[in-house]
Amino acid sequence: MTGDETAAPTAPAPAAAALTVRNLSVTYGNVVAVHGATFTVTEGDACAITGPNGNGKSSILMGVTGMVRRHGEVTIFGTPARNGDVRWAARHGLTLVPERRQLYPDLTTADNILLGCYTWTRSIGKARRSDSYTRAVDLFPELKPHLKQAAGTLSGGQQQMVAIARGLAAAPKILAVDEPCLGLAEAIAKRVYDVLAQIHADGTTLIVVEEAPRRALALCNRRVEVRNGMAGAA
Amino acid sequence: MKFGNLLIAGITTGSIYAMFAVCVSVWYRVSNILNLAVGDFAMVGALGVDNLYRVKGLPLPVAVVTTLVVVAVFAYVYDQVVLRIAQDGRRPIEGIVVTFFFTFALSFFIDGAAKVLFGTDVHAAPTLWSGPALTLGSLNFERAGLLVLACAIIIGGAFWLYIRFTLGGKALEASGENSTGARIVGIDTRQYRRLIFVGTAVIAAVFGIVESPITGFTYLSGATISLTGFLAAAYGGFRKPGRALVAGLFIGVLEAMLGGYVSTQYGDTVLYAILAAAILAWPRALGFESAVSG
Repeated sequence: MTGDETAAPTAPAPAAAALTVRNLSVTYGNVVAVHGATFTVTEGDACAITGPNGNGKSSILMGVTGMVRRHGEVTIFGTPARNGDVRWAARHGLTLVPERRQLYPDLTTADNILLGCYTWTRSIGKARRSDSYTRAVDLFPELKPHLKQAAGTLSGGQQQMVAIARGLAAAPKILAVDEPCLGLAEAIAKRVYDVLAQIHADGTTLIVVEEAPRRALALCNRRVEVRNGMAGAA
Repeated sequence: MKFGNLLIAGITTGSIYAMFAVCVSVWYRVSNILNLAVGDFAMVGALGVDNLYRVKGLPLPVAVVTTLVVVAVFAYVYDQVVLRIAQDGRRPIEGIVVTFFFTFALSFFIDGAAKVLFGTDVHAAPTLWSGPALTLGSLNFERAGLLVLACAIIIGGAFWLYIRFTLGGKALEASGENSTGARIVGIDTRQYRRLIFVGTAVIAAVFGIVESPITGFTYLSGATISLTGFLAAAYGGFRKPGRALVAGLFIGVLEAMLGGYVSTQYGDTVLYAILAAAILAWPRALGFESAVSG
């Protein structure tokens, strides 16, 4: 899955760039998952990263957010991002809602969401009173009856909502959502996208990784197409 | 009031088992490593204080604080050197080697060092609360036993409050449940592994100090304590401190009752037969299936 360097997409004015990625490569052992990905996301954008399964879309997000180590350059709001440091990325405004949600199944729904606040505070009182936590909970009225229920006992759709709510509790400027509708029924997927649209409308820059781009493209104004581990503007 | 006195003795011993079981299971939740050296930290606490106070002639408070500081520093250095290389490197070691080997080796290392430093005789830290046993009707309360109970309630309670009511406590739980999910919200799982390892080493040392006047310690006492803590922790799949606590108390009370009513000589044999039978009868309910599957 290697190849020549791809052409860079159109570059918006640097001052407005929320996320700049240049020559990003991610490898797992000897396997190259992403090679030379270059793209920019402008503040206020809703950007879809699309492409076939197994072509490195998720690895781009993992590399950009620091979940895995990378080669190449990533800047978040003009500041070079630390390699492999998720906490740094989260504190500088980029939060990941990962594929398969990665919740804490034995903790309650409320605690799962609350832990999103850990990126910016250690005080449970501040976290509970924060606008970001309140907004995250208010955005999903369907979760309210389940706030004291263990997250592992929720349905797949509800768990996806908890994962997005946890991401919002981190008070992100850029929310990167990986495959938000994987395994969800159509009606639930639509609800998830309605919420993402609302989050974007409220001013949060959005990056959505999708294998099936139809729904994502209805929401997003930009698209990065990934083929064989290489990314470029489509 | 034989039953009452046996119950008191059982709850005292059980609270010791319970605390070691909680120490084992909380750290396993965070690190996926079974701390087989937890009893050795207790032994170092007891024999260290005895050595500094009785042999070196230091005042008791100084001896206690010095011992606890040494235990904390040693645990910190061990985490920084051994566990960091084992788990935090580019190629972390996984599987049974990490789960057992490093703390097993640590246990032998501490035993060997203790033999050199403290000798092979039975010793105990001096009683922190001396005086005749307190009585309530026909019930007898040993002061050392009450001190153990008080420590268990205070330390266990503080730990519960930390987990239940602080964001740090919830982060600790999250690290144990899903380390990837924990990293996403910026939780440094290594920091919690270190914090709990050092914390439980100090707690174990405290219990060694308050317990040793009741039982006496040698440099080999650590392994027995670790084993009982390990066994009680197993009754919650090593991951549920609440169950480990109940199991520890139950084992303590059962042990006392068997010793009092069945046989002092074969009490332990019957005890382990009952514990094994319970595991065979209700493996899922007692958490053993999850322990096997990890």
